[in-house]
Amino acid sequence: MPRIEEVTQQLSNKFKDGITGIDQPGATQFFADIKKEKVKDICNEIIKMGGRYLVSIGYDNIARDQTLGMIHTFAFDRDNIFCGIRTSVPEQNPVMDSITPDIPNAGWSEREYIDHLGMKFSGHPKPKRLILSDDWPEGLYPLRKSVPWNIQPPSAEGVAYQLDECPEGCTVVPVGPYHPTLHEPAHFALYVDGETIKGCDYRGFMVHRGIEKLCQTQLTYNEIPFVAERICGICGSVHATSYAQSVETAGNIKISRRAEYIRTIMLEIERVHSHLLWLGVAGHLIGFNTVFMHSWRVREPVMWLGERMTGNRKTYGMIVVGGVRRDITPEIKQDILNVMKKIEEELIVIKNAIVGDTSIHKRTKNVGRITKEDAIKWSLVGPVARARGVDIDVRRDHPYAAYDDMQFSVPVVDTCDVWGTVLVRVLETFESIHIIRQALDKMPDDGPILTELAEPIAPFKHAIAGVEAPRGEVVHYIITGEENRPERWRVRAPTYPNLQGVPLMLLNNELADAPIIIGSIDPCFSCTERVQVVDIRSGGVKVLSKAELEAFAKKK
Amino acid sequence: MWLSSKIKQVLMALKPGVVTLKYPYEPHPVPPDFRGQPYWDHHKCVGCGGCAAHCPARTIMVRDLCQEVRVMLYDGSRCTYCGRCSDVCPEDAITMTDKFELATGDKRDVTQSMELFMATCKRCGRCYEHETVNAIDRMSLKGFRYDNLEMRAVIPVSTEHLDTALLEKTEKYKRPEKLGE
Repeated sequence: MPRIEEVTQQLSNKFKDGITGIDQPGATQFFADIKKEKVKDICNEIIKMGGRYLVSIGYDNIARDQTLGMIHTFAFDRDNIFCGIRTSVPEQNPVMDSITPDIPNAGWSEREYIDHLGMKFSGHPKPKRLILSDDWPEGLYPLRKSVPWNIQPPSAEGVAYQLDECPEGCTVVPVGPYHPTLHEPAHFALYVDGETIKGCDYRGFMVHRGIEKLCQTQLTYNEIPFVAERICGICGSVHATSYAQSVETAGNIKISRRAEYIRTIMLEIERVHSHLLWLGVAGHLIGFNTVFMHSWRVREPVMWLGERMTGNRKTYGMIVVGGVRRDITPEIKQDILNVMKKIEEELIVIKNAIVGDTSIHKRTKNVGRITKEDAIKWSLVGPVARARGVDIDVRRDHPYAAYDDMQFSVPVVDTCDVWGTVLVRVLETFESIHIIRQALDKMPDDGPILTELAEPIAPFKHAIAGVEAPRGEVVHYIITGEENRPERWRVRAPTYPNLQGVPLMLLNNELADAPIIIGSIDPCFSCTERVQVVDIRSGGVKVLSKAELEAFAKKK
Repeated sequence: MWLSSKIKQVLMALKPGVVTLKYPYEPHPVPPDFRGQPYWDHHKCVGCGGCAAHCPARTIMVRDLCQEVRVMLYDGSRCTYCGRCSDVCPEDAITMTDKFELATGDKRDVTQSMELFMATCKRCGRCYEHETVNAIDRMSLKGFRYDNLEMRAVIPVSTEHLDTALLEKTEKYKRPEKLGE
């Protein structure tokens, strides 16, 4: 019997009266409808069976049955299964048990729906405001369908987020929202005793702009990939691919093999430049700007390659529902191989230059140390988890695009500190180059790159799609809707779980190490908060008058 | 160990030499398929509005003043240069040019507006009913669109017949106000 049936059988045997129905649309995912009283028991059982918590999805179902829906999703990594545990609470009394005491990573997801849908979770350890701004009026829940997408509540004075209680004998050191080591706004309040960090509170989501609501109410299926791509300035294709895959799974659309190969190549090119970017930023954070300058110098040809392949150095705009937009011609293929050869040579030089450098070791070894057990408990993902010995990778565990044809190894180290994340990322870059070469070699020569949608996508189908982004695992959950747009689209970026583990990593470290620890998860606050970030081209140096500048810009 | 790493780092830094480009003092050419500022060829445009229906940023707006005159406005100030308009254009009227230095103090520099004279079918009063597969049907766009070009706002409403009440409503359209004001 396939493992997925074993899992569903085991669950329905154990919770005969708790599970009202099981929906299994494909060989790799199932959705169980359960009674809300049993949500805690069933989620704990799934964790015991080897499941890994992904994200929770709340949605407004008031128009149909006067309820607010809640879906907890899990992954069984060894068996290639995604599962969703669906439940609902009545609109009048939206209270359900919190799963956060046992699964700490669900904390943010649940707080998100306290803010967005007005749900209540009994037993939540920290039911504070997470996403909405402090002056957002009480009782106005933006994700409910009755609230228009463009509502603008009045601003208020004299409201502020109440930080957690400072432990006795500690001083609060605020880091952010504008701080040299954070590239985007986020506020960390570090509680320090002397130089040692004893605790941390986080207030972020300062740039939350409600992309999900916008896409659920205004845009159509094939416009969303372009908005999804702009969720993150660095891993854009990842979000577009994940969104497209979720729609394709829900709508049963089969795309051509060549398109899957092109997607694989785009994702790996993105990983190469993202890891080089991170290596530079990490060097910068520990005050080692040689690494910063040179890994960014090596990265630049990848950006130009992207420009030649897709027409833009970032936000490639390649991926749409049904395939990709541009083909890889033989000339481009040769171009990719040449660039990759050069990157590989240069990266070996950088690796040899930094791998034995004692000043880097001193700044990163034994810094941000957490155990493998904690990493699993907090459901950390990506290089952050792999540096703690947790062997997970969506590309291998839940193969998508053309990864089932690729042969690659997943680097896992067990140093459990920031140095481990450096190692994992450098090794992964070599693996990515290896995958790109394989994909170019094995790619089928013909076939359409874009599959036309034969019929409209059926409404109210659920689907989960995971994609391994450079920072970890991206999860998109979709409920298809009428009117050619999703009913609910939920994005979970890798920083979302990883940032929740940061307080644990900071604990008992030196204050001066805080930037590199926060940096080690490669934080992307805009992904987490689902807004746009902009890639900036460098500007001029001399001060020109406005007219001069304009004349200059128009000359060309 | 420390010293050998430092020597390797010096060699790493010396080998490439100066890599900084002289831009903007020297022009920076872009590759042939670059997605720069889109350009509308009014000779080719049939006014189907497919680009407006597919623009993720809602940059392209259509307004029908009457059966014969259709105004199309491209507001480049919020364009994301995804090139979707040029993909879906059935007449290849839209090309992505190589212009990318578009910073300007005047919004009109990045705006294009076209007034298209639409033909009316002499037999039925509407142009597109005869064919079963044509561009208009594929775009699933109804006869008249009511975007507010002055406010640069998209009002996602279109009807089959010119609706004077709706036209008036869009003319009086105001952006959503803040609650409580």
